[in-house]
Amino acid sequence: MRLYLYLDRDTALHRLHPTVKVCAMFCFFVAAFLSERPELLLPIAAGVLALIRWAGALSNLRRLRVLFVMVFVMTLLIWTLFYRGTGAVWLTLGPIVIRPVAVAFALGMAIKLATFLAVGLLFLSTTKIEEFAYALTQVGVPYKLGFTLTLAFRLVPVFIESASTVVQAQRCRGFNFDQGNLLERARRYVPVLVPVFMGALRRADGMAMALEARGFQSQLQRSSFEQYRFGARDLVALIIAAAVAVGFIALWWAGYTRVLG
Amino acid sequence: MSDIAIALRGVSFTYADAATPALRDVNLTVRRGELVTIMGATGAGKTTLAKCLNRTIPAFQAGVLQGEIEILGRTLSGERVADLAGVVGLVSQDFEAQLFATNVLQEITFAMEHLGVPLADMRRRIPEALAAVGLTGFEHRDPATLSGGEKQRLAIAATLALRPPIFVFDEPTTDLDPLGKSEIFAVLARLRRDGYTMMLVEHEIAAAEHADRVVLLANGGIAAIGPPAEILPQVGLLKRHAVRPADLDCVVADLKLAPTARTLDAVAAALPNDDISLPIVTSRPNVADAPLLHADGVTYAYENDRRAVDNVSLRVDAGESIALIGQNGSGKTTLAKLLNGLLPPSGGQVRLGAEPIASMSLDRIAAEVGYVFQNPDQQIFAATVADEVAFGPRNLGLSPGEIDERVAESLHAVGLSGCESADPFLLGKGQRQCLAVASLLALRPRALILDEPTTGLDYPEQCQMMELVSRLHRDGMTLIIITHSPWVVAEYARRGVLLAQGRVLFDGPLRELFAHEDLLERCHFRVPDVTRLGLRLGFTPLSVAEFTAVYARRGR
Repeated sequence: MRLYLYLDRDTALHRLHPTVKVCAMFCFFVAAFLSERPELLLPIAAGVLALIRWAGALSNLRRLRVLFVMVFVMTLLIWTLFYRGTGAVWLTLGPIVIRPVAVAFALGMAIKLATFLAVGLLFLSTTKIEEFAYALTQVGVPYKLGFTLTLAFRLVPVFIESASTVVQAQRCRGFNFDQGNLLERARRYVPVLVPVFMGALRRADGMAMALEARGFQSQLQRSSFEQYRFGARDLVALIIAAAVAVGFIALWWAGYTRVLG
Repeated sequence: MSDIAIALRGVSFTYADAATPALRDVNLTVRRGELVTIMGATGAGKTTLAKCLNRTIPAFQAGVLQGEIEILGRTLSGERVADLAGVVGLVSQDFEAQLFATNVLQEITFAMEHLGVPLADMRRRIPEALAAVGLTGFEHRDPATLSGGEKQRLAIAATLALRPPIFVFDEPTTDLDPLGKSEIFAVLARLRRDGYTMMLVEHEIAAAEHADRVVLLANGGIAAIGPPAEILPQVGLLKRHAVRPADLDCVVADLKLAPTARTLDAVAAALPNDDISLPIVTSRPNVADAPLLHADGVTYAYENDRRAVDNVSLRVDAGESIALIGQNGSGKTTLAKLLNGLLPPSGGQVRLGAEPIASMSLDRIAAEVGYVFQNPDQQIFAATVADEVAFGPRNLGLSPGEIDERVAESLHAVGLSGCESADPFLLGKGQRQCLAVASLLALRPRALILDEPTTGLDYPEQCQMMELVSRLHRDGMTLIIITHSPWVVAEYARRGVLLAQGRVLFDGPLRELFAHEDLLERCHFRVPDVTRLGLRLGFTPLSVAEFTAVYARRGR
């Protein structure tokens, strides 16, 4: 099973400085976050889609298509039904009133959430976990926190594997997960959770020792193998991303981003 | 500069919650470039000793450390583990816990970055370290996708990149298959040629053969120390200290040959060879009966169409003892899991008696075919030993009286009677393994599949485990044992099934299989030395006892 989204390709986007990637991601988030109107969100979404294509990450989009469709449809549905606006009415079905303003808002929300996901996907498709951790330290996050993040990524598959073995071992003892009501089922997870948890504790103990044996916590000044150079390309990318963010902030400031009604 | 790499003077350590010391008054001097192998029973203090050398003890373990430890002329006091990272490289058994990065390159640079190694040096050391462990070309692989042997070699390379003059290996091969083990031993041999000082904690005698000195630890103290040629032939001494002696040394001792004979050639030359043949014991008691288990052309394919098991047919009769052998990835475990319905075959059919297993519920299969997983810790969860064993019968919905009866009977069978209210997590590894067996016996299965039942146990624990298994077999239990351990196969199975790349290469009486030395060698399975010796002399013995009995009968 593949858990990472990272695609080992050599595109201009992959080569960007990690800090630039983090900042650009943040800029896109801001732009999408401040916009409510679909006609403003669509260009952002289209831009992100183009970048995903440029990064050769459409395959990841396909992998997660169910997630995208679910988020989009659910958001559209829920906000259309529950947005409390005023003004013209399209349709009345008993207690349900559908107004154009609600549809516009719901469409905006749906595009916004899908765009958030797409920006995250673009980032994870082009950024190694270690680069992410490095970028975090560059923007002021403590190294240990960044490292914890990379370690978590490395451990997820290990724990999934361990859990699946435990499930098999307990099934061999006649254990059946699918019996009883919800509460009983929750209780039935104990024979799986205890061995997995004990295993995790043992592993954590071993890892702590092994980490120090590799110089973690050493008082020496750290060096870095990956040398990330900030080049002209990075500057251009940063300016473009910042311009997008600033543009949307200006629109928001002027009150253009809201769905009126 | 002094010739001494490690000097221990009167070193003792007592864990905070222990009544007796784990190490007591250890005095040991290791010269530069020396390889010292440490052996001894579980709990003899081997790991404690290893951890003292890089300050993991006392940094991570509360307790009282006494005496003096000197590393390269510097007496340790108050250093942190990280301060010694470039001096003493500690590689442990658990390779999963020693890898932190998402690709091989990052793994190697991790430690160097923390010790501030300049970039130009890193660039030089990375290819060197990878070449030394044979992982050149693996730079961009995700460590999670590597085999066990590759992971352990990566852990060594990451340590090697720091160029510590001293290496301490704490059972580096315990969790590996024979191929992985031989890969690690090759790396150790190379480090030795390169002049590293090494201390190696190991269970297997093969690791001691090439050492400069062997140390036997017992109850935290040094029980014996000397060059391998002096220590290893002392068969009784080794057994007393939980080390399985080499087959050849046992033959020499049992037949009272000249104790200088320690090679296959020398021992063979000392023995007469004329026609000897041993009966081939077939393990099929009654082929006319319907088989207990029958795999009929089963295939198991992964999503990417790679076949883990490829069109395998296997008939298992009641009362057989079968060893499934083959290197990791050959399909042994997958086949075993197909046999008890844990995995659904993508082709073919498995029948239990006359009934297709696919149509049976898992608890019904569990009551017929038990599966003991390799690591007991992957199933133990209950607060008491009795509760742990009762779990299976409860799942079958039995009455409380019946459950109690089965718990008592199962614990008795594995020798854990009296431990009913003990906390399973406080038992030793060998006892936890027995508990895992008991928890399956409580389902009263007719067949038992054991996946690597002896891994991680010391020799007496291994013997205990296998004696338990063979007792069950005598009482009528059908056995399928998955193992890499040649002597376990030789002494406890009567039929051998050799798998490679998901197919059966050989299926027949063990004595016939073991005569195919080349075939087995190609599958990275080395027959026991006593079998090799016998083959030179024209017969196929399966154990030292069998071999020496032949010569004893002939009165030599």
